[in-house]
Amino acid sequence: MVEDLPQKQDILDGLRRGVISGDEEVVKLATQEGIDSGIDPIEIVERGLIPGITEVGANFERMEAYLTDMMMSADAMKAGMSIVLTKIPREKIRRQGTVVLGTVKGDIHEIGKNILGALLTAAGFDVIDLGCDVPASVFAEKAEEAGAIIIGASALMTTTLPGQKDIVDYLNSTGRRGKYSLLVGGGPTNAQWAKEIGADAYAETATEGVKLALREFEKRRKQTA
Amino acid sequence: MITYLDVIKRIHTGRICSERDFDLRVFAPKLKEVLKAHDIRYDPVNPVPDDDGLADDVWSAAMDFYCDVGTYCLDTERIVQFDENEIAQTLKTAPREFTFGDGKQRKALTQRRPEDGTPPWCFLGAGGAAVSSEENLLRLVQGYASIPVINSLTSPALTTVEGMRIVAGSPLEIYGAIRAIGLARQALTRAGKPGLPIMNCISTASSAIATIAASQPQFGLRPSDGWLCGTLAEMKVDYGVLSKGAYLLSWGANVCSETAPVLGGYAGGPEGTALVNAAYNILGTVIQKASYQLSFPIHFNFQSNTARSTLWAISLSGQGIARNASLPVFMLGYTASGPMTEMVLYETAAWVIAAVASGTHIEAEGVCKATHVDHFTPMEPGFAAEVAYAATGIKRSCANELVKTLLSKYEDKIKDAPIGKRFGECYDMTTGKPSEDYLRLYSKIKKELEDLGLEFKY
Repeated sequence: MVEDLPQKQDILDGLRRGVISGDEEVVKLATQEGIDSGIDPIEIVERGLIPGITEVGANFERMEAYLTDMMMSADAMKAGMSIVLTKIPREKIRRQGTVVLGTVKGDIHEIGKNILGALLTAAGFDVIDLGCDVPASVFAEKAEEAGAIIIGASALMTTTLPGQKDIVDYLNSTGRRGKYSLLVGGGPTNAQWAKEIGADAYAETATEGVKLALREFEKRRKQTA
Repeated sequence: MITYLDVIKRIHTGRICSERDFDLRVFAPKLKEVLKAHDIRYDPVNPVPDDDGLADDVWSAAMDFYCDVGTYCLDTERIVQFDENEIAQTLKTAPREFTFGDGKQRKALTQRRPEDGTPPWCFLGAGGAAVSSEENLLRLVQGYASIPVINSLTSPALTTVEGMRIVAGSPLEIYGAIRAIGLARQALTRAGKPGLPIMNCISTASSAIATIAASQPQFGLRPSDGWLCGTLAEMKVDYGVLSKGAYLLSWGANVCSETAPVLGGYAGGPEGTALVNAAYNILGTVIQKASYQLSFPIHFNFQSNTARSTLWAISLSGQGIARNASLPVFMLGYTASGPMTEMVLYETAAWVIAAVASGTHIEAEGVCKATHVDHFTPMEPGFAAEVAYAATGIKRSCANELVKTLLSKYEDKIKDAPIGKRFGECYDMTTGKPSEDYLRLYSKIKKELEDLGLEFKY
């Protein structure tokens, strides 16, 4: 166990900085060093990795960091997590839940969805990114498979908006609508459309998307408590 | 010179790499490196920069960047690259003049220069925003065609056919695309401008199959119109866009390289967005063999481009392209606010002044982010055209002061901009005339601009 506080703090600071700079190798080495030095793995996550990704998220909100910074930091954090998770029971890690994310069938625009994915990771969600041109059934089946609580569906064209309604229809037809919160977003989407198709929420921006995901998560947590 | 078939060959033989690696290991580090090497820095104090050296630096940085990064093909997962000499030769020998339209509306398009005394090409209409009905599409296009200085139309997109919602890639997309073209041509004829080119063919179609199907001449399109062939953010193409190109170039039709770098996305901040926008112009000539670049750098958080940072990126990249490239560039404005608000006219004036003084042509415009059905009218592009003519020939320093004043009137409201009113609430749908209230508002803001020193020509 590390008793020497300055050394412990150095390792945790190094982890935080490694995540901020999006350097996977630095984060892997620092995580291993932390474990080898006897730092509690939960502390590695909560005082090293999470503060790093949280800072990147805040920088993104202030437009001081951009999408590639977010994605690289998210990758670096995942690299650290993959090491640390082998050392502690998963339920001891404070996570928000799983989100299945994608761009609907017929639509190949990804950038907004990618930004939301990176921000959700920063906020503590496990994100399963299905990519673009995703059929309604795939959103639903992957959510089922991963035990997700939230489905996020993006559409960037007026002609692909029906793909969001298809998800609602598919979930209804399989009797699973109540299991998930459906968040919709993308250029031509708006609150009226979300209401019309029976989605749970509409996010105009990725930052709003994270707030809504947290709200939906909290709502569901209370329901199951 | 690089031919279209050379491009097609390289999308199947170029270096293979995953999309994520292209984004994070090729595109992002090179962008940072080039921005640093050329010392390109955002200046929020001056949204319209007045520095030819900086404009040329952006162009030269875009060349360095593009030669190294190339274009990523999503379908083959390969990077299309050409060496610097091949690219330079292709740019040098590329056409510099492109002709659009028929009859009295036929006109040649060439590149402008910063502070140019020649008015910009006014490509006016809805910016592809969606209308709820065929009747609205007809009435809107007639209104657009009646704007005195219009050079080409950007038609709205239909959302339904016979009450059925149009779905991308479905047969309804083909029906919708054919119908939208027929209606737009009919409305242009009613307005007495049958030869006016439609330069956003085909707004209702997104897939290659619908575009090609609806482009058959019997439905009303001509090679002298212009087709949007959209690149994907950032520096990416796919089979769909290249297939459209294969068809259109074989027909001798005008290809539009549609580009929309996202500020806050892969392109990063204002500096990166300006650089990537300039690099897209090179892609348009080298890869797409385009007749024009239609660009709308867009702010990720606002989904519009009238914020200070996006105006700077529009202005600087516009100057870099106008001073160095052969492929004419149009800037397309997206306002945050909607019709019949003071803000929409302030936003319109700001982006138009920035673009025109920087040497670009204009497409006006996507009103209310082009996300609200029927939330646009012919008044906003009409206003944009009046401002564009008034801003023709003004110095960038003068444009900078005007834009700063305009920004002070709306900058803090962008996030929660008013959506304004629907077309039917702003216009008399029987006579096709704007309401008295909107005319009064229009005159009020025009007078404010005159008081700021802008001299309207009509």
